[in-house]
This record gives sequence, C-alpha cells and structure tokens, in this order.
Amino acid sequence: MSARDRAIIHLNVTDFAVAVERVCDSSLATVPLIVAPRHAARGIVYDMSEEAYQDGVQKGMRLSLARRRCPAAQIVDPRVALYRKAMTALVKEVSGYSPLVEQGEEDGHLFMDVTGTHRLHGPPPDIAWRLRKRVVKYLGLDPVWSLGTNKLVAKVASRIVRPFGEMIVGAGDEPAFLRPLPLTLLPGLHVQEQKIMDDFNLVTIGDLARLSRQQLLVPFQKRGGYIYDISRGRDTTPVLPGVNHGDGVCREHIFADDTEQEQDLYRILTGFVHSLGRHLRMEKKVARRVVVSIVYNDGRSGSRQVTDKQGTSNDFLLRSLAQKALARAWTRRIRVRSCMMRVDRLAPASPQRTLFSMASAQEKQQKKLLAAMDAVSERFGSNSLYLGSRL
Amino acid sequence: MADMHSQVLVGTSGYSYTEWVDGGFYPQGTRTPEMLALYAQTFPVVELNYTWYQMVRAEAISRMIARAPKDFLFAAKLTRTLTHERDRDWKEEMVAYREGIKPLQQQLIAILIQLPPDFIWNVKNRYYLAWLLDSLHDFPVAVEFRHVSWARDSVFRELEERQVTLVTVDAPSFSKLFPCLAVVTNPSLFFVRFHGRNLQGWQSGNMQQKFDYSYSIDELQQWKESYLQPLRKEAKKGVVFFNNHVRGQAPANAKLFENLLG
Repeated sequence: MSARDRAIIHLNVTDFAVAVERVCDSSLATVPLIVAPRHAARGIVYDMSEEAYQDGVQKGMRLSLARRRCPAAQIVDPRVALYRKAMTALVKEVSGYSPLVEQGEEDGHLFMDVTGTHRLHGPPPDIAWRLRKRVVKYLGLDPVWSLGTNKLVAKVASRIVRPFGEMIVGAGDEPAFLRPLPLTLLPGLHVQEQKIMDDFNLVTIGDLARLSRQQLLVPFQKRGGYIYDISRGRDTTPVLPGVNHGDGVCREHIFADDTEQEQDLYRILTGFVHSLGRHLRMEKKVARRVVVSIVYNDGRSGSRQVTDKQGTSNDFLLRSLAQKALARAWTRRIRVRSCMMRVDRLAPASPQRTLFSMASAQEKQQKKLLAAMDAVSERFGSNSLYLGSRL
Repeated sequence: MADMHSQVLVGTSGYSYTEWVDGGFYPQGTRTPEMLALYAQTFPVVELNYTWYQMVRAEAISRMIARAPKDFLFAAKLTRTLTHERDRDWKEEMVAYREGIKPLQQQLIAILIQLPPDFIWNVKNRYYLAWLLDSLHDFPVAVEFRHVSWARDSVFRELEERQVTLVTVDAPSFSKLFPCLAVVTNPSLFFVRFHGRNLQGWQSGNMQQKFDYSYSIDELQQWKESYLQPLRKEAKKGVVFFNNHVRGQAPANAKLFENLLG
C-alpha cells in the first residue's frame, strides 16, 4: 500500500465559554462578555469575548482590573460543567465522519483524522466545511476550521484565522506556510525554550528552521530534535480518540461548596486513587507520574507532580504520591473549588517476577489486599469497598 | 462568429484527489504535492475547487503555480463567502479574494461564480450579482446559475454587455435547476461543466453520491453534437471541465471527450 498524506481537521470554537454562554442567552451576543467568578474576593478571568479582549482583558487577569479595562462588559459566573456538556455535544455532532476524534476538555478544540474516508464522505475540505455547517446549524456555535497533514500544522492554521475563518494547508506546503509566522504561533514550546529563542533573536518559525538539528541540540539538548521537526511542520503524533491527556488517565471532582478542609481533599484523593489504581491494574500498567491540580474559588489554579521512576499501580503508594503532590500544589489559604488527579507516563507492568523477591512483608500484604479489593469491586461495583480515609 | 475549430481545452474540476491514485489516473504511490505536475502532463487546464472552501491566499497560489508549467491554465471558483454563505462583510471578502488571486492573473482563464440553488432571480439578488460582476470587472468571469429563474433573455443580454460567460451545465434534469443551454454571452470564452447525471445522488446531499457518474461515449458524442458545436460557432475559445470526480471518473471522461474532439 502506498504512503498517504494524512488529512487532519482542527475545529476550534473561539472563546468557547463565551460562545456557550451566548448560545444559552442570546441577549449576551451583542455585549462584551467576561466569564469570571463575580463573588470571589479575588476572582480572575476565565474567558472573555473578542470585544473585551480588544479592550485589553485577558485570561487569568484579576476581575477588578478587567472591569476597569472594559467597563461595558457583562460578567457571568463560569459554568464548567455546562462547557463540558457543550464539548460533549460538539464531539457527538461531528463524530459521524470519523471515529478518530481527539478533544480538549472544555475548550472548544478538537482534531479529527479523516485520512482515507473520501469514499464515504468526499474530499477532506468538503468534510471540514460540512462539519462547520453542522455545528452552526445544530449547536449555534461557529467554529474556525483548518485542514493540514498533521495536528501541528492544522493547529497553527486555526490560530492564524481565528476568531472566524478557515484554512487549508496543502501537503508539501508545511515548511513554506510556517516560515514567515512568528514563533509565538508554534505550539509545543516550553517557556524556557521561548526565552532562549528570544535571546538568540529568533523571531519567525523560518528563523528557527534555518538551524540544523546539530545546532539545535546545543541549546535545547534532548528537545533539539523535536524542535527541529516542528519548525519544519513535521508532526507524526496520532489523533487519539477521547480527551487528550497524553497517555494518562484522570479524575476530577468539583466540590458542591468550596472547601478549605484538608480532610475533604484527602477524602477525594483517596477516591481517585482507588479508581485510577484499579484502572491501571486492569490495564496491566504502572504510572510513573502523579499530577494533582486544584482550582481555587477565585479561578486561579495550582498544579504539581511527583514522579516514581519504577512506576506503580499500588493504591497505597499512589495515595502517598498524590498527597505529596497536593501538599506542593496547595500553596494559598483560599478555598478550593475543584481538584483533579492524573496518572501518566504509563508503562506496562512487568509480568516477570524478580529472581529474588525484594518485596517487604507489608508490600506483599498490600498486594494481596488490593487483589481482594479488586475482586470485590469487580463483583459488587466500584463503590462497594474502600479505604476508611475516603469517608 | 468564431471559427468552427475554435480551441477547446478539456480538464477536470480539482486535481488533488487521493482516490484518483486508486482509480488509476495517478501512479501508485503519488503524494499530494506531486499531483499537479502529473495532472499537467495530461490536461492543459484545471478548475480550482479549493478556492470555494477557503479564501484564496496569494502565497499559497504562488506555491501552487510553481508546480505547473508556465502555459498551464487555471479557472478559480469564487469563495463561498461571496456566493453561498454571504453572512460576512462582502466587500472585505472581495478585497481579500482579489488580493489572493493576483499571482494567478497571467494563467487565469476565468473566475467561476457558482451561485447556489436558492439564489433566485429577484431584485436583491440581481443587485448583488451586479455588485459581484462590477467588483471583478477587470478579471475574466463565468457565471453558473443553479436556479431556472435566471434562464431569461434579459439576463443573457446583461451578461453579454458585460462580456461575462454564462456557464453551460450538464447535470441531472430537475424542473428548478438551470437548464443546459448553448448560449454564448462572451465571444472570447465558453465554459462547460459536466456534473454527471446521477439523479438520486444529486438529491442525497452526499458529495460522493452526487458526483458519482460516468458518461458513456454515446452520451458525450450526443452532447458534443447538440451543444458543443453551437458553442464553438459563437466563441473563440472554450473550456470543458468534468466534475464527476468520484473514483477517478472525471479524468477518464475528460480524456474520452478530448478524443471525441479529434
């Protein structure tokens, strides 16, 4: 079979929270809009409309400052659950065209791989156009669409045309398309890397693409090869169905009432650990990193990670790692609205036993206990048995 | 009156279809960037479809032209935001289109204004079409109507005065669809589009079914006698595009039609 150029569509509903709020309340369509917790003492902007953005309002800005910059703006409280629901509806609307749909959480972004679907649905530009038409018709949202041979190029193309429009980057055109664009449009760069590029006076993606792989290895070390590829529009990452957490799995909880009680967070984390640990054991995998993120009631967030080189699927160890990550992430004396735990950098659990068993008696006991708990959960449901610290 | 042997250039609507590799028009293993150069080895002209889906951009057009021979010709569809989805600022869109199409000017046979089926003959739409034609007065232009209400002498006279080509369309016959007419409104150019005659597919709303049709040699011969000959009498030059792209039927039919021309 011949090698084919991939056809990746990126759909992006700009200012997703604002777009959803405007669908729910059409009177908001004509006024500058800021989505932020109105009653929080030091609330920050979750999202804003293009008009508010033009007046200088940005995501993460203090609401008090945003009000001063755009006094005409109407302010609504964030409704994260609603945005998530809208995101699900968006994915459902388009999923008839390809099973390969990778979505963001509640940000209005999705990638769709339509390679090889032409016999069913026609040429990729026509599919992209139809997707937009469906989303406008059935959801009232107006997404930007772009088409490229990989996710990277499609995403950059969307960034260029937003808030409205479309762009097709033909196969073979990727380097020429990226060359004149500013480096700020290139996804996947770390802040530190951007700073180094700034120090080297690299302004456009073309400036970066002029450097050889060897030259890039000097300042960026292991990441040099990756940066070399993306500067030329090369990206072989697949479109992975579902919410993109890299290779990880995550759980999230939004508290009914914001909390400052440590016990509340520990209780929730224990529940996450049970669920994620069991998931890992069923998949015969171990996680080498645990990430805990919290969102405060003023909209700010904190996130920290703890790694375990060996990797684990042991609830007891996962709980200890999660608590350590939480302690690092929770640095402000402000009530917490939601908490998320993710396990990633997954690796297959080794089926091979070590020649000389190094496990302590306690570890052996824990392993037996977890196997028994998994068996009970399997038979009676996941909430039938859990550690006391979850109560 | 033009010469009986006025030049007729035959091509297809679009050239970048991966299914044309499976269909045998492109050799196995052909990648998208190689397609235009290969296409140009067979046909002298192509109609650009993608300019309907997205606003043309000068840099992308320049890169595309570089892949084709210098004497290769292009017809370019007007962007859908100026024909089918007129909810953006028309004037801004037209400025962007004119700017984007500039690099093509030397090799441009015509800009194709394809109007939607719901674009009926009324005062508002006539004013809008007049504005489109005024805005493109310095480009060669062809207009394809999809609604029968435009099939009237006053329309043809106006196009004639403006030296704008009326597109002759072969499609399934519907009462509301603009009929197939051998009317020449621009003695410099006639413009033919073969959409296929898949009646069921046309109503399905699915592009793959709509344009899934293969013309027989008899159908093409008959069409040539009924329509092409009168068109050739009236115009100096003409282009014929096959839009039945599914499974590589368009290039196969285009080659067949070329052979019929002798």
